Amino acid sequence: MKVGIEIHQRLDTHKLFCNCPSRLVEKEPDLLITRQLHPVFSELGEIDEASRAEYEKRKVFEYQVFHESNCLVEIDEEPPHTMNEDALKIVLGVAKQLHAKPVDEVHIMRKVVIDGSNTSGFQRTSVVALNGHLKSSKGTVRIPTIALEEESAGIVASESRRVTYRLDRLGIPLIEIATDPDIKDGEHLREVAEKLGMILRATGRVARGLGTIRQDVNISTAGGARVEIKGAQELKMLPLYVENEEQRQVELVKILLELRKRKALPVELNPVDVTSVFSKTDARLIRKGVDSGMVAMAQKLAGHKGLLGRQIQKGRRYGTELSDYAKLAGVKGIIHGDEDLSKYKISEAEEKGLGKKLDLGGDDVFVMVVAPAEQATKALEHAVRRASMDFVPEETRKARPDGTSSFMRPLPGRARLYPETDVPPIPVDRDLLASVESYESPEEKRKRLSKMLNPEMAERMMRSRNIHLFEKLVEKGADPMLAATTLEDTVVSLRREGIKFKDLEGALLELFREYNKGKFVKAAIPEILRAVAKGASVDSVLRVYRLQKVSGRDLGKLVEEEGYDMKKVMQKHRLQVDPAEVAEIIKKKPKKRHSEYR
Amino acid sequence: MYSDKVKKLLKKKNIGVGDLVRVLSRGARFTGMLMPRPFSGDPDVVVIKQESGYNIGIKADEIELLETAGARPEHKAEQEAPKKGDVAILGCGGTIASRIEYKTGAVYPSITPKELRTAFPKLKKWPIHSRQIFSLFSEDMNAGHWRVLADEIENEIKKGSEGVVVMHGTDTMAYTAAAMSFMLQNLPVPVVLVGSQRSSDRPSSENEMNLLNSVYAATKDVGEVMVCMHSSTNDDYCHFHRGTKVRKMHTSRRDAFHSINALPLFRADYRNDVFEELSGHRKRSGGELVSRKKLNDNIAMVYAHPNIRPEFISGLDSYDGVVLVGTGLGHVPVNAFDDKTVTSIYQPLKELIESGIPVVMSSQCISGRLCMRVYTNGRLLNRAGVIGDGADWTPETAYVKLCWVLGQTRDMKKAGKLMMADVAGEISSRSVLEEI
Repeated sequence: MKVGIEIHQRLDTHKLFCNCPSRLVEKEPDLLITRQLHPVFSELGEIDEASRAEYEKRKVFEYQVFHESNCLVEIDEEPPHTMNEDALKIVLGVAKQLHAKPVDEVHIMRKVVIDGSNTSGFQRTSVVALNGHLKSSKGTVRIPTIALEEESAGIVASESRRVTYRLDRLGIPLIEIATDPDIKDGEHLREVAEKLGMILRATGRVARGLGTIRQDVNISTAGGARVEIKGAQELKMLPLYVENEEQRQVELVKILLELRKRKALPVELNPVDVTSVFSKTDARLIRKGVDSGMVAMAQKLAGHKGLLGRQIQKGRRYGTELSDYAKLAGVKGIIHGDEDLSKYKISEAEEKGLGKKLDLGGDDVFVMVVAPAEQATKALEHAVRRASMDFVPEETRKARPDGTSSFMRPLPGRARLYPETDVPPIPVDRDLLASVESYESPEEKRKRLSKMLNPEMAERMMRSRNIHLFEKLVEKGADPMLAATTLEDTVVSLRREGIKFKDLEGALLELFREYNKGKFVKAAIPEILRAVAKGASVDSVLRVYRLQKVSGRDLGKLVEEEGYDMKKVMQKHRLQVDPAEVAEIIKKKPKKRHSEYR
Repeated sequence: MYSDKVKKLLKKKNIGVGDLVRVLSRGARFTGMLMPRPFSGDPDVVVIKQESGYNIGIKADEIELLETAGARPEHKAEQEAPKKGDVAILGCGGTIASRIEYKTGAVYPSITPKELRTAFPKLKKWPIHSRQIFSLFSEDMNAGHWRVLADEIENEIKKGSEGVVVMHGTDTMAYTAAAMSFMLQNLPVPVVLVGSQRSSDRPSSENEMNLLNSVYAATKDVGEVMVCMHSSTNDDYCHFHRGTKVRKMHTSRRDAFHSINALPLFRADYRNDVFEELSGHRKRSGGELVSRKKLNDNIAMVYAHPNIRPEFISGLDSYDGVVLVGTGLGHVPVNAFDDKTVTSIYQPLKELIESGIPVVMSSQCISGRLCMRVYTNGRLLNRAGVIGDGADWTPETAYVKLCWVLGQTRDMKKAGKLMMADVAGEISSRSVLEEI
């Protein structure tokens, strides 16, 4: 087995080919536009597999436009501006960390993507540096390319003929780090991904938060095929994806051998309208479809009996693979003869009728779809195309949250990159290289952090997505330990309570500025943040909730009122007093008051 | 073009674009296909396409040949002859019908009939034939090209074409549309000019929708020159604009073309068989095509501006006619109040007219009608013989019309009269409140 990984991480700078901020918008979209894409043919009149698969669907794409984060560039109505130099410098800085050699000239390419996730029908991408490497516990992992590219649009909803995307995300700069297939196993994969993630975060120039980093895993097995699993979000899941994919390919090879033995390949395409079999059916799915003008179309898979039901991943069978292909035609899925048909309420008589109509022998099995006639035929064509493959196909697959994956599209061919003629190549000359920042390595950063935090918190901070904000707070004068606990504990538990921060960075900067002025005590921080999250100023929160720190003469009075009892003072005034100051006052408690009147 | 230094390296090993090469650069080696040098950037940097498909630029110390590329197939432009009852598609180049060579990424502004059918499989819906006339960017087109195009369209009509679609670059499409409107009158079939704002090498190009709507419209009962482009940023409808009323109003948007001082003629969506009339149009006529193709291309167009100098105007005396793009209702600095601080171009304009050079007014406002009777400034120009009072043409249509009028007559009086007559819908009699 060979494993490689591609990491995509958003950079903390404005968009790559225009001056829009890289900001995700929480408001409703300002505008909706609809578009269609069509495949671009090469001069030989060919389009590649991936484009063909998408074109089959002939979808309408609806785009949500946000004035705050979008301009004409993202809606493909204005040529791209020149490349964001700040983004390029960040990538060159990371390349330095990974010992990669920058190219002498960056050439921007168009990578054809016609699933609608780019309004232009392609993603702009460029190789910035080559031949880097990363040391790991299981040897050196080569990093052949480091690229800079634009983020795609975010998918909002997908129906069979219409897909909705939001454009606030489109165009955010991404660094792409691709390794060679030097990774030994799932655990090693996790280590490499984690190391790369730390190098990126240590720059302080990458975006934070959910979805800002994505991992695509490349896996190939002996006798199997190269498969790319896209969109893995959690590091701890990575070993599971590897394990499951290996299992899937092993099972697929077994099924292939069995099919060859049964001489069941290739499958002859012969879709048959079997609607009449279900004229009195109780199967709701079929009934409903037929009533609305659809047909039940079925096809014999000779010699496939029992194999469609064979599990290849947890909860996914060979039949699921065929179903994924059928979905290319826009259908919801297929029904096949290895399933428990009673769950559809398909009767035994109907099953028999089907068998007769399709001339099913003992080794044969049917696949069936319910859809408008043309679509149903298309869907079966796709399913049969998959069933006929006398090999494990190369695929791009989508990571599912449970560790399995589903088919997205064939692995893209090579003809899909051509030059972006609207943006001139960028020379990587001495001036540019001299202006590239030398980022801290994770080791250097760890060392520095452990000087200001206790070892446990230093390690937590290294792995935290808040590290950039932490550094900023400390730079502005916040106490490191307090800033770290506030970020990692207080804010986290407030978020768990459902509190959303409109502007976390702004809130915390103000919080520590006011704290340093001695306006409140540590214990009040959660209460203050709870109110500040909604947008109030720290000062007004202190006044309204009476959280101002009590000290000096007032504190003396207060302690006296509580009879110089530490426990009582803290019980009543925990949020307003500093225990150290209280202790100090108690220590200096006047011996006997009446002695003054002596 | 590569620098001499690189060319020398290439020549030494007899390496050409498309060959598989190994580039040695400061101790490192890179393998890929040699690409042509893009127009911009450092000519010393060698561009190779790596196996991954990515191009990179590398400064080469040495280049080694690994494998020679096979001979490239010559790109020959086949032609198809006119056929009765077909829609003719004539190519003039431009963004709409360029093709990309995937290997090198070069874009050619031409497309053969076969390529056209491959690129737009939906053309199968209609009987068509196609020919490439020019392979030009439209900004390079001039009156000579208008003449050739008008001849070709006339030929198509005479051979019985059902309609004519002209694929054209968008920059000067409005000029060509106006020229065809004046040169070919009493049209028995629709003539549709069509372009696209997004180049055909992008999957998002609106070329497919624009072209298919054009062919669809070319079969309809219309006898006008029209321009077909997107009606909005959405891929839903195309607008058909009258050839003399249309103007490109945005540098990059899909819906850049607007009808000026008029409504579009139609809104169409071939997919749903929608061909909706938005304002009155001329129908196909049984009568003969009236072909008046003579043009005078010795016409100047002058954009009036503050600080414009009299010498500039007097220097126009080698032209046969002048179109002014004036301000407001049709003004230029003529010093109506005899103010000492003003530099006037009144005198040289008057002298041009007196020497037999017609001067025609249009407005920088683009929208709205000229009225040179409201202010003294305009009245002076009117009295001096500047043509255009009351017209609502675009500057470009005024320009093309003057080219055409002075091709028909050199008589000042006749020319003035012909300019002010509505020949091809370029002057409307009523200014209606436009709302779409």
